[in-house]
Amino acid sequence: MSTKILKLAVLGTIGLTSFAQAETVPITGQVESRCVIVTDTAGVYGNPNAYTLTTDPSQGGVESVVRFDVTLADSYYARITSPTEFSSSPNLPDVVTWTGNTEVDAVSDASTMGTYESNKIQYGNTDQYDLTATGSTWFKTSSEAVLGGSRPYPGGNYTALVLAECIAK
Amino acid sequence: MIRALLCVMLLAFPFSLTAHEMLPTYPKFTPSFIEGLYKTNIRMFNKRSDVEYYEVSVWDEEWNPIPFATSSSVLKIPHLGKVQFDLYVRKKDLNSVEYICSMSKLKKENITRTSVATRVCSRVK
Repeated sequence: MSTKILKLAVLGTIGLTSFAQAETVPITGQVESRCVIVTDTAGVYGNPNAYTLTTDPSQGGVESVVRFDVTLADSYYARITSPTEFSSSPNLPDVVTWTGNTEVDAVSDASTMGTYESNKIQYGNTDQYDLTATGSTWFKTSSEAVLGGSRPYPGGNYTALVLAECIAK
Repeated sequence: MIRALLCVMLLAFPFSLTAHEMLPTYPKFTPSFIEGLYKTNIRMFNKRSDVEYYEVSVWDEEWNPIPFATSSSVLKIPHLGKVQFDLYVRKKDLNSVEYICSMSKLKKENITRTSVATRVCSRVK
């Protein structure tokens, strides 16, 4: 009886040994410099009066927020352009006056990114930021469209685009 | 320390699924199997759920367009999809190529009242 148990134990051990083999499955990855644009919040126009559409939160709008993630310092420019036209709208009875602005909303490291806002370059409706540090930067963009002659906007859907660009230096 | 850790986590594990990514940042051109054409390889990753199409373009230093060839200048990349493609330029244009860009193309019906168009540009050094 004890011999049988011994044999079973030996066979069991051999069996277990054969099943205990391991295979390695490689997971490969590549680390390289990159700039990722994340659309955090799509804006919404509020309509505080008949002839104004605005993203101002105090007027019922929502400002658009984009995040730039950068993994290599001093290698990218962030350019953000507020809208200068509607991408779709009903027929409008007059010209629209556009105003817009972009500013830094938040940064992941204030000690290295604190000067982004003061060092930005503005031309037209475009704001350009020199991303001199690695990390994340949130930019918020406001937009306002006023219809000429204080005429009321026709009813319908109005859409406009904020352009966020990440340009390698 | 915590800030640095948070930053690394943010970059390594982006929790938002609304990003536009194109690599490499500094592509290099090499001769292709077709005489007179040089090629580089571009990789894109679409994490924007509201975008399915991206348009590729090539520019010189003054942002003038440069002719190029790819399998398609407008690429369909499904949400969370990756695309890798070769981009060809003529030898005579090689020294003029400065930027290779991809821009999101928004479908009219997908646009909310305002939306964000994104463009990422690599630079040929």
